[in-house]
Amino acid sequence: MPAAEVANRVRESLATLRQSDLKDAQIMDVLKLAHQLTDTMQIFFSSLDQSICNEFSYIADYIARTRSEIAHLRPNDIKEQRIPTAGKELEAVVTDTERATESIMQEAENILCAEAEDMDSYKAMVDDAMLRIIEACSFQDLTGQRVSKVVGSLNHVEKRVTRFARVMGVHDASADEDELVEKERANKLHLNGPAVGGPETTQEEIDRMLADDFGGDAGGGNEDPGSGLDQNDIDALFD
Amino acid sequence: MAVEMSMPILVVDDYKTMVRIIRNLLKQIGFENVDEASDGQEAFEKIKKQSYGLVISDWNMEPMTGYELLKKVRADDSVRSTPFIMVTAESKTENVVAAKKAGVNNYIVKPFNAATLKAKMAAVLGDF
Repeated sequence: MPAAEVANRVRESLATLRQSDLKDAQIMDVLKLAHQLTDTMQIFFSSLDQSICNEFSYIADYIARTRSEIAHLRPNDIKEQRIPTAGKELEAVVTDTERATESIMQEAENILCAEAEDMDSYKAMVDDAMLRIIEACSFQDLTGQRVSKVVGSLNHVEKRVTRFARVMGVHDASADEDELVEKERANKLHLNGPAVGGPETTQEEIDRMLADDFGGDAGGGNEDPGSGLDQNDIDALFD
Repeated sequence: MAVEMSMPILVVDDYKTMVRIIRNLLKQIGFENVDEASDGQEAFEKIKKQSYGLVISDWNMEPMTGYELLKKVRADDSVRSTPFIMVTAESKTENVVAAKKAGVNNYIVKPFNAATLKAKMAAVLGDF
């Protein structure tokens, strides 16, 4: 029952009592005090009602805004279309690349194993193999297009998620247990993966690092790994 | 001491194409006795069963990485002197330092060519 209605009922009861033939002055004082108290309580409860109403209104607005933002995020499109399609495209890239590598490798191995006694037939065989290698290289065009589509999908998802996070004021939660375990293992075993844009440390730099203090555990030749390299081995590293 | 060209070499990589590439390069260099394993665990079992003149291993493999294989080999008295070359796309300085501390004999960063492989093998095994 709303506070205003309660106050009205109390006020009506007080008025009824006052109209009855009460002679006791003290009871009249109590009734007067009760009336004042009722008025005060009505103001208090009315403000409380308004504040609760405002809170619920804010929450309702927030839920509506969240629903609207989630709709803009189009999670079903991401889940049912974008991500599965990107996954299929990447699988196709792997398959195309494997197939092309297999073809190229096979042709190269055939050439390496071929007898070159009859130069004419050898040249014809090499020419044919080279043509098949060139044909196999056409995979790059297809994989390039597939990867571009995947990059497009990722950019699309990134834009939507970024907008959602910004509008909703989302902050990153800490990583879950599995993620932490995986990260810890990667750190412990130095699993960094290939660097983008070529090796982070060049072969020449690695050679220098190994040569700089190869007197330690790195070892060399068929020697015990605890022993150092001789000068010839060190020289060989700089060749 | 001359390098025995018929010595067995173990190539460890979870990517079959890379094993095939290294096998072909080794063949061109003159080593034809090549065995293969697809991760550190399988490699270690082979190393324990047979003596290899050289192990050429990738780093990033599951369930046992090449780095774990290297440490396991160096910790086992019966196989610890097996020459070990890491061939990997892991090119951070920390990887090279960790491999060196673990006792790697040489380190080749992918992509690489036949000349690099031959040079590093010569550095480890001696000229051939």
